[in-house]
Amino acid sequence: MDKKKGLELIKLEVLGCLNEKDMESLKILKESNDDFPWKELADYQNLVALIPLALEMKYPASELKDKTAMKLYNIRDEIKAKIEAKKAQEISSKPVEEEPQLEELVEMEEIVEVEEKVFAEAEEGVNINADESFRLVSNFKEKNESKNLIKETHDSADVHVLKSAPEKDVIEKITRDYIKTHIEKEIDLLNQSVKKNKILSIILFLITLILIGALYFIK
Amino acid sequence: MAESNSLTDAEIMLKIAGYDSKALEKLYDRYAPVLYTLIKKIVTDKETAEEILSDVFVIIWRQIDHFDFKTNNTYTWLITLAHNKAIDVLNRRGGKKLPEYTDEYEKEHIIPKLSPEVQALELEEVLKRKGKMEKALGSLTDAQKYVLELSYYGGMDQEEIANKLKIPTVTVKSKLQVAIGNLMQKLSEAN
Repeated sequence: MDKKKGLELIKLEVLGCLNEKDMESLKILKESNDDFPWKELADYQNLVALIPLALEMKYPASELKDKTAMKLYNIRDEIKAKIEAKKAQEISSKPVEEEPQLEELVEMEEIVEVEEKVFAEAEEGVNINADESFRLVSNFKEKNESKNLIKETHDSADVHVLKSAPEKDVIEKITRDYIKTHIEKEIDLLNQSVKKNKILSIILFLITLILIGALYFIK
Repeated sequence: MAESNSLTDAEIMLKIAGYDSKALEKLYDRYAPVLYTLIKKIVTDKETAEEILSDVFVIIWRQIDHFDFKTNNTYTWLITLAHNKAIDVLNRRGGKKLPEYTDEYEKEHIIPKLSPEVQALELEEVLKRKGKMEKALGSLTDAQKYVLELSYYGGMDQEEIANKLKIPTVTVKSKLQVAIGNLMQKLSEAN
């Protein structure tokens, strides 16, 4: 009897149209009945999820990926807290462990700095493509890989030096390098073409003078 | 890139559980169209649909711990999540009295609670069943299709459908149960 009732309620639940009373009845059945038809619930959940297959496929705007990445970036603190809690749980569950790693904290701070820098660039209008923007969110796998790299190549003092380097200097240096490699070249090219044009104008002027002179003598 | 393409949905979800944003991006690339199609059908407005789709991926990132890695049913979990979220927005915009949208509310009403016996489904294999599903849905009567649409895409409960169609709630219940039962039978036959 309970199973039959459960099955009837399941069919309505998977469609999302149970009223509160039936929802409560189904909850009680799930919790109290060993005979609850879980397999049938599973089958109907899968069946209903297949219904949208019959729809004609639509595609979201490509910019939506960037917007989503930004939303994800904005919840970075919450995710960081979750990861730290996870780490803390892992550490506390290990019987004998080395003391908490300073490098891990340093690494986390570095990640935040990099993220904030890129976010600031994004706000300033530096174009970030969708592929990059999703990675900004917080690629924790890469972070773990980079953590190992940091461990191998730097001692913690080096990391501190890197960390304390003012971002402004870095940005200025990048800007100077960019001007050197890109803009200076263009200015040189422009100057050269101006010189060429000047010489050409003088030559043309002289030719005109000669022609006028020649015409005068002919007359 | 090739490695990333060859990952199963379940493998991608596992990487997301480790907060691998590349995996989330991969999931977005793979699932955005199918989720957007469903959301758009529910809310109809393009901008709202995009906003919801974006929110769905934020929920995935924040609530990945609630995904059941024993059953690994990525497809049904994501479709149900997107459906729940879109229906919630639709109901709120329609003026339905709902509790405040909090973290607790999200866990209780938006995050899917799939049966522990659910069989894993992945997008790639599901898409191959498109023709069969269309055929199965096509074999339902117009009345059955209509009540299914009102409940699944319209977010209406039994009473609301009864009011709309001006028929008793018991009749709506029975029509919905017959419709979904028939759909199950037709799809099983097609398979």
